[in-house]
Amino acid sequence: MTPADLTFQLDVAHWGWSIAAFLFFVGIAGMGSVAYAFVRRTAVIATIFVSLVVGLLLVVSHLGRWWNLPRTLFLMVRDLELNFGSWMLIGITVLGIHLVLALVALVAHLPFLTQRLPWLAWTERVDASKAFLGAFAFVGFFATVYSGFLITQAVGIPLWNNPLIPVLWVISGSIAAIAVLELLYVVGAVDAKVSTFGVRLGMALDGMKLLAVLGFLHVAASYGSAGARYGATLMTSGDLAWMTWAMVVGVGILVPLAIGAYTVLREKNKALLTVSALSALVGVFFLRATVLLAGTFEPLVL
Amino acid sequence: MARVNEMKGSEPTRRLAHVWDESLCIACGACVMACTMTNQPEMMHRKEKGWDSVASNIRRIDGVNATGKPSVLLVQCQHCDDAPCVANCPFGAVYRDDDGLVRLDAEQCAGCSYCVTSCPYNVRWFHPDSKLPMKCMGEGCLDLVAQGESPACVQACPAMARDFGDLNDPASSVSLTLRTKRSRRLLEGSGTEPKYFVVEGGL
Repeated sequence: MTPADLTFQLDVAHWGWSIAAFLFFVGIAGMGSVAYAFVRRTAVIATIFVSLVVGLLLVVSHLGRWWNLPRTLFLMVRDLELNFGSWMLIGITVLGIHLVLALVALVAHLPFLTQRLPWLAWTERVDASKAFLGAFAFVGFFATVYSGFLITQAVGIPLWNNPLIPVLWVISGSIAAIAVLELLYVVGAVDAKVSTFGVRLGMALDGMKLLAVLGFLHVAASYGSAGARYGATLMTSGDLAWMTWAMVVGVGILVPLAIGAYTVLREKNKALLTVSALSALVGVFFLRATVLLAGTFEPLVL
Repeated sequence: MARVNEMKGSEPTRRLAHVWDESLCIACGACVMACTMTNQPEMMHRKEKGWDSVASNIRRIDGVNATGKPSVLLVQCQHCDDAPCVANCPFGAVYRDDDGLVRLDAEQCAGCSYCVTSCPYNVRWFHPDSKLPMKCMGEGCLDLVAQGESPACVQACPAMARDFGDLNDPASSVSLTLRTKRSRRLLEGSGTEPKYFVVEGGL
């Protein structure tokens, strides 16, 4: 089997870099919302909100008929044709709720707004409640899980029909959220103790991510169909291998692990923490990109 | 559009299916071109970039069989009874009609391409102008079938290698063919219950 026998989903469905970026920002916003339950800082909720907005803009811009989206949504609701068997509709719903909750939390952190518009003061009370924080964290976590199942349910692309993808997305989304917290610590927006905890948790998650990446590739290469095996080969020794080994594993996992070990064993260095956080974010982005780009349809003739 | 909506919620009364007899096919490409001519004539001189071939609802896959001889496989929408594209479409734009055919309601399509990635047969392509995910059957062939005629590919085939009819009707030509000749369905293990049958020859 050669690449000529296969159709890459990128050539037909065009799920490429913009969708990878969408999944990346959903991961930051989603697992960032879990972190927000413990670190209720303005910079954190602002990052979550901006990530969500950017992610949604990216995915809407990817729609071939984006101009038809309002009409489509209107008809769907009017005719009550709500196909909740589709992970994409589940995602639209969850991301919509997530955006509203993020906006509420963001407004609560904007005193100039709540003072000028007293009727918005309720957002501060809501944002301070444990029920809200719990709901926000749950919706964020679920949004990250959704972004994994969105891929696994695309049954035309056998590489993606792998249950480890949602797990990978949650682990790497958590790493991205911690990386954001580290960057916010570097610029003085969160406390040092948050950073210290983040470094240790991040190292544990890096180890888990490495195992999950290798597990994903092993399952696809060993037990997958011809299309899944070809995708795994592309990721491990083919044209996309540089993304897997250099960007996902090297830059995204090993560099943060090494800097984390240095930080724990020797000293905390803001410059190194910045490098570590940016490396982790690069790795999280490339993980999504390489999985998407390696997707091919099943060959019908071997 | 009322007609479309009426058909959306109802259970299919017929199970229209395509049959392609590979033992009769001479790989002339008449069906491929007739499909484009009938359903999207504006694409006659434009290429489908993803497949790097003519923009048709029938995809031709050239290969080599187990004995080393050249082989050809013609693939199109299988109108699956359990179609993943129907299950995954977030907007309800992809649906199964009264005849068991998988259809697209263009009004409700936002071009997310989830139906494209959900199809194990890789039979959808994006129209460069409308940005709609195209596939068999196109509007031209649907009109033909509504008038009681065969789809364009069946009419155009000079080798009588193609047929189309109702699986629920035991007297239909497709039912007769499938009862008397050996046939297979593509990617049967995918669980989609496809209604595109490849006839392999005699019993």
